[in-house]
This record gives sequence, structure tokens and C-alpha cells, in this order.
Amino acid sequence: MTRGMAHKSTVEQADLDRLQAHLEEHFQPRDHEEAQELILGALQHVQHEFGWVPLEASQAIADHLGVSVNRIYGLLTFYADFRTEPPGEHFMLLCHGAACFVGGSQKLIHELRDNYGIGQGGTTADGKLTVQIVNGCLGVCDLAPIVQFDHEKYVGNLDVDSFNAAIEEITANGSQREDHGAD
Amino acid sequence: MVLTDRAAFDAHAARVRAEFESYTSDSEWTISVCVSEDSKAKGVLDTFEHLRFRIESGDIEARLRTTGGGGWAWADPSIIVSGPNHPAVLYGNVGSDDVPGLVAALASGHTYDAGLIGAFGESDTLPAVADHPYFKLQTRLLTQNWGMIDPYSIDDYIANDGYAAWIKALFDMTPEEVVDEVKASGVRGRGGAGFPAGIKWESGRRAQARPKFMACNSHEGEPNVYKDRRLIESDPHRILEGIMLGCYGVGAERGYNYVGGEHLLAVERFRHAVNEAYRLGLLGDNILGSGVNCHIRLLTGGGAYICGEGSALMYSVMGERGQPRTKPPRSVEEGLWRRPTVLNNTETLAPVPDIIRNGGAWYASLGTERSTGTKLVSMQGPLARLGVVEVEMGVSLKDILYETYGGMAEGKTLKGVQTGGVSAGPLLPDQLDVAVDFDSLQQYDCMLGSGGFVVFDDSVDAVEFGRYLMDFNRWESCSKCTPCRLGNKALVEVVDRILNGRGQERDMQLIESTAKHVMELSLCGLGQVAPAPLIGMMRCFPEDFEARIDAASEPIEAGEQQRFVIPLAAVGA
Ligand SMILES: Cc1cc2nc3c(=O)[nH]c(=O)nc-3n(C[C@H](O)[C@H](O)[C@H](O)COP(=O)(O)O)c2cc1C
Ligand code: SF4
Ligand code: FES
Repeated sequence: MTRGMAHKSTVEQADLDRLQAHLEEHFQPRDHEEAQELILGALQHVQHEFGWVPLEASQAIADHLGVSVNRIYGLLTFYADFRTEPPGEHFMLLCHGAACFVGGSQKLIHELRDNYGIGQGGTTADGKLTVQIVNGCLGVCDLAPIVQFDHEKYVGNLDVDSFNAAIEEITANGSQREDHGAD
Repeated sequence: MVLTDRAAFDAHAARVRAEFESYTSDSEWTISVCVSEDSKAKGVLDTFEHLRFRIESGDIEARLRTTGGGGWAWADPSIIVSGPNHPAVLYGNVGSDDVPGLVAALASGHTYDAGLIGAFGESDTLPAVADHPYFKLQTRLLTQNWGMIDPYSIDDYIANDGYAAWIKALFDMTPEEVVDEVKASGVRGRGGAGFPAGIKWESGRRAQARPKFMACNSHEGEPNVYKDRRLIESDPHRILEGIMLGCYGVGAERGYNYVGGEHLLAVERFRHAVNEAYRLGLLGDNILGSGVNCHIRLLTGGGAYICGEGSALMYSVMGERGQPRTKPPRSVEEGLWRRPTVLNNTETLAPVPDIIRNGGAWYASLGTERSTGTKLVSMQGPLARLGVVEVEMGVSLKDILYETYGGMAEGKTLKGVQTGGVSAGPLLPDQLDVAVDFDSLQQYDCMLGSGGFVVFDDSVDAVEFGRYLMDFNRWESCSKCTPCRLGNKALVEVVDRILNGRGQERDMQLIESTAKHVMELSLCGLGQVAPAPLIGMMRCFPEDFEARIDAASEPIEAGEQQRFVIPLAAVGA
């Protein structure tokens, strides 16, 4: 889908039309069992394109796959990766796996709280940065503690100062990539 | 191109083998750049672009290709070079700044000494990779193709005996014989519990209901391990072939792979591998005219650690919240869509192609009697060298730590090694001379688990680390049953009290008794071990806890900032 949809906090009919077309092309279940297997994938697709999962998109998926939107809401609240609010301009994954913990990721989480006023899932007041704290391991432990910006840029071996510098650098940068990580 | 019969496959295999061999022939330079999620984080794509620029500018005539990561994260960005009078050589830490020097050296017929790690083949003048301390203890079976083949190329895999086991099974073996070889191999589940895979396959084979399913667990949501995603990233077809052989063995026409959604590159490469296998006709209906059907579906997780648990994984595949259920029935009786489903960890399936090609007895000769084969180990923490390594079962953990990983990083003092992920306690420095296998670690109330070890130094406080591990389990609890949902929360609160300087002597007993309740009464494997790391920290480092509790008897000064560790959930926006 096109660039520009990424930061939208509201959803327009054109977006939903594109989503509908995508569902019809790529999410075509052969039976009701397969329809259910496709729900999470369809939601992941939406989050990948929109950066979050708007209610209208959930409804479209529910209608397309023949399940209730309540069930979809149950999934969105269970799986930690899903966001039901639009993210900020930039997106940061903060690894809080064991290696990063041993390397001091707790200090970075404290810094987010004290200096930026945000915690898990939060967005800074200026709307520039959303943080997701990852309980698992990002798999790049030799650079621990590490963060990943906008699903592509890693900054590792962090202490509080370099962490702040990295955030400053990324938020000074206006635009973001058009996609949002895994689909 | 679709291959339609066995002869067509054999002809194709011969052709791609010749092509692959040319990569290490001495007529032409070949530079292979090892690309993994890890090396990407270290700028390997810059190295690649600089190399391409040099080649395009005519500084050297060479073929440039990408391969998967080698597991040697400490040496990334890394490349493998072969060429005229130059055996395949591994160079490490090749940043884009190194490229001009490297290219100049190669073009004038020399090696580039700055990053040289060693030669893979025979060489009179160069050190052998196998003698490097990082490789010395390793037995590279599951990792044999890592760094060598392009994970996007099914032909590279086929050129290295890939899918030969699949062909052998389809045409020369009955499903029962496939199951028998896996039984004979003695391979035990690498997902944590160590259950013999062959026995699980046999139960699946015997199950009456139809259809049946095979499933691979690549969720890997633990905070201490990164081996399954590397298996997929570096050699996706090996895992795919393992699942396919499982399908054939148990009599399933459909297999699933459930990969953690945050393992982006693994997801991408596995998806590509499945498409390639369909394209060549190795998946589909009536494969190569054998009459066998096999289909594979890929699903990705949503960041819930509990979805690694077998029954939760299956609910997640079925588009439900991933909450475990009571057993029986076990999933080999009632799994996906209430049909018999055989679930194995990625690493359990990874050696299956070799087991089918070389026989179960051959595999059983590796490792120890009760823990056969090799084990991937991923150590984390302040070590000299990090990465994924593969050793035969039974190698001493101490040797792995001090030789393979090079010991502690400069200036760091070892305090302990956390084992079993978030499901067991730590080892003390004087307990490290223990064999890496399924049983030996138990003497210290520790666990092999998924083979992830967290080395920590004396800057880490055992109360805070115990709290961290406890909080992980509390946060990842699916909330289905009360002991886990409330008990783990209560445990975090007690530790917080100690950390806040208000702990009392009896809090230690309170932790012990609450932990006992949680472990005895919880429904699934998460709750049943959730407090174990905290209990382990208390057992190994009582002085850290006592110091906090003793200090707590002093009055808290007015206005003093309370120190506490933030619970992940509580600070949400
Ligand atoms: C909370 C929890 C998380 C688990 N996570 C994983 C995982 O990420 N990967 C995995 O293979 N097994 C995991 N397991 C173990 C699986 O339930 C199951 O035993 C395993 O996948 C079976 O494969 P195996 O016999 O080949 O080990 C987990 C178990 C529990 C209780
Ligand atoms: S023990 Fe915990 S994770 Fe397991 S079912 Fe109960 S609440 Fe869920
Ligand atoms: S623990 Fe953070 S990258 Fe592995």
C-alpha cells in the first residue's frame, strides 16, 4: 500500500477499500477452519500497513472471514504485539531480554519513565515516539542492551546517555518508513 | 520449473551441485557475505554495498553472493572468500571501512590479515578455522550449512544433499521405517522437556482419527535464547524438510510452522523456502509422482510467550487466544482441530534429514547415551565472544564458556550462570564443570531447557535479577488459572517490598510457601515453574537478599526516593 497511510490516526474509505481488495486476493479460506487460521495473519497485515489495528479494519476482517468482531477484540487484547491506538511518528522496540537486562536495560526503562513520561506501549506527549518493551530477546545480544527503531535500525551497547542521543537523532528525523514490521 | 519424478530430481540435483562447487573452485573469486538479523544490526548490508561498488568499479573480478549467518555473531559482519590459490577463508569484523583494504589485498593475491579467522579447507599457510577456539569444541551438524548456503536458494540446499532424505523417504521407505529411524536416533525434544521424538511420532502414527497434522514450534519467546530463529534464517529448507519428513512419518498431509512474529527475517526466509519447495514440486499433491501429498502452512505469533506451550500454540493457530488447557487428551490424540497433532521444536526437527539419510544409529553415536546428538547453545552476557554454537551433548559447560565463548569480557567477574531460561535457577561459578545434556544439570536444580544460558557478572544484584525473571513469568501468565495469575503477582510484590527497603526476614519464608502453592497448583508448564528462578537466586545468593533485608531495619529517611523496578505492565500510557 501507499506511503502516507502510515501515520493516519483515522481511517478513510479508500484505505478500507484497499484492505478489502487485499483480503479478497490473499486471504481466501477454503473452509471455516482455514478462515479461523487466517484471522491473526489478517490482523498482522493490517498492523503492518496501518501501524495499528483500527476498529473499522477489525470489522472488515470479521466480515470477510465470517467471525465476530468481539472475537477479534479478544485477540487484539491478548497478543501483546497489537496496538489499537495509532502509534507515534517513530517506533522503538526496547529489548528487555535477559542479556539486555544483564547489560542494563532496566536503566533505560527508568529513563523512559523519568525523562519521557512513558512506559510499555506509551507514546511521548509530542507524538514523536512510541515504545514497545520486548519481553523476549531481539536476537542480537552481543549488542545488548539494544533498541530497534522503525523496524530496521538497531542501536546497541547503550547506556543512558547514548540512549537519549539515539532517541534525539531518530525523532529529529521527520519521516518514517511506510511499513510496520512483520506482516 | 516443476520436477515431475525422481529422475528429474536427481538430474536437477547433479546440475545444482556442479554450480555450487564452482563457488569454491579456484578459477574465480567468490565473496560470500553472511546476512542474518544479527549481522544486519551490525551493518553487514553496508559491507555488501561497498563490496558491490568495488566489484562494479573493476577493482577486482569476483562473484558476490549472500549467505545466511554463521552463528559467529562476535565476528559479524563476516564474509567467506575463496579464489585462485586461496581456499575458503572466513574473515570477521569486516566493516565497510575494511572493504578497500580487503579488495586490494585479494586483487594482489594476498590475504587480508586484519580480519582473518581461518581457512575452512586445507591450507599450508593459513590457520584452520577448526583450530580457532570458537570452533574447536564444536560439532557442526545442524549448523553445517550456516554461512555456506544462500537461504533464499533451494538449489544451494539441494547441492548440499538437501531433500535427498525426502526423496529417500518417498520412494525407498515406508512411513513406519521413517519413524523407526527417528526412534533409533534417540533424539529428544529440544523445546525444553526432552521427550523422545521417535516415541511421539509413533503415537502420532498410531492415532486413528483423520486427518492428522504435524507442527513445528519455532515460537522462541524466551528472553534468553536465539537459536531456532537462526536455524531458520541460515538454513530454512532443513527445517522445512524436517517437517515434511514428520508429515510423511506420522501420516499427515499438512504441516504447520508457528514462528514468533518478531523473528522477521526467519519468517521471511521460511515463507520463501515454502514457496520454492512448491515451485519445484517437492510440496503439493502427488509429489514427484509418488502419490504422497504434503502441504505446509506458516503462521506467526503475536508476542505472547505462552504461545510456545503446545496447547496454547494450537489455540493460537486456530485463531484463538493462546491459553493452555488441561491434559489429557494430549495433542497427539487431540491437537489442532481436535485431530492428532505431533508437535516438535525446530531444533528437534533439524537433524531429521540427516537421520533419514545416514540412519538413526549414526545419529545415536553422537552425544551421550541418554542425550544423543548435538545441542545448540546460545550464551548471553558479558562474554568475550557471543554467538550460537553447536556441541555434542555431554561437553562441559565450563569448557564452552571459557573456550568457545572465550570467557568473561575484559574486566568482568563471573557471578553465576542462569539456566533453563525463565524456568530454573542459576549455577554458581564452582558448579560449571557440568555436562551439557538433559540430565546432568538437575543435580544443581538447574535445567538445560532450550540451551540458553545467561552469564552474569558481579554488577548484577541477585534480588533484581530474580525479580526480573519472576516478573517475566507474571507478565506472560495467560491468566487462565488463579494460582499463576495471582500467586506470581504476589511474589513480585514481595520482592518489590524487599527491593524497596521494607523487606523482613519472614518474607523469605513467604516467598517459599507462595512459590510452592503456585508450582503445585498451576495448570500448565509456565505456572508450574514460574517461581523457580527466584527460588534459585535465593538459594545461590542468599547474601544479596539478606543484605537488603538487614538494611531495611534502618528507618527510611523522609523524602528519600524509593527505588523500585518498574513492572512492565504498570507504567502503560
Ligand atoms: C510456557 C511455555 C513456553 C514454551 N515455549 C516453547 C517454545 O518457544 N518453543 C518450543 O519448541 N517449545 C516450547 N515449549 C515446550 C512445548 O510445550 C513443547 O513441549 C515442545 O514444543 C515440544 O517439542 P519437543 O518435544 O520437540 O521439545 C514451551 C512450554 C511452556 C510451558
Ligand atoms: S499456569 Fe499460568 S500460563 Fe499456565 S494456564 Fe495457568 S495462568 Fe495460564
Ligand atoms: S536479550 Fe536483548 S537482544 Fe537478546
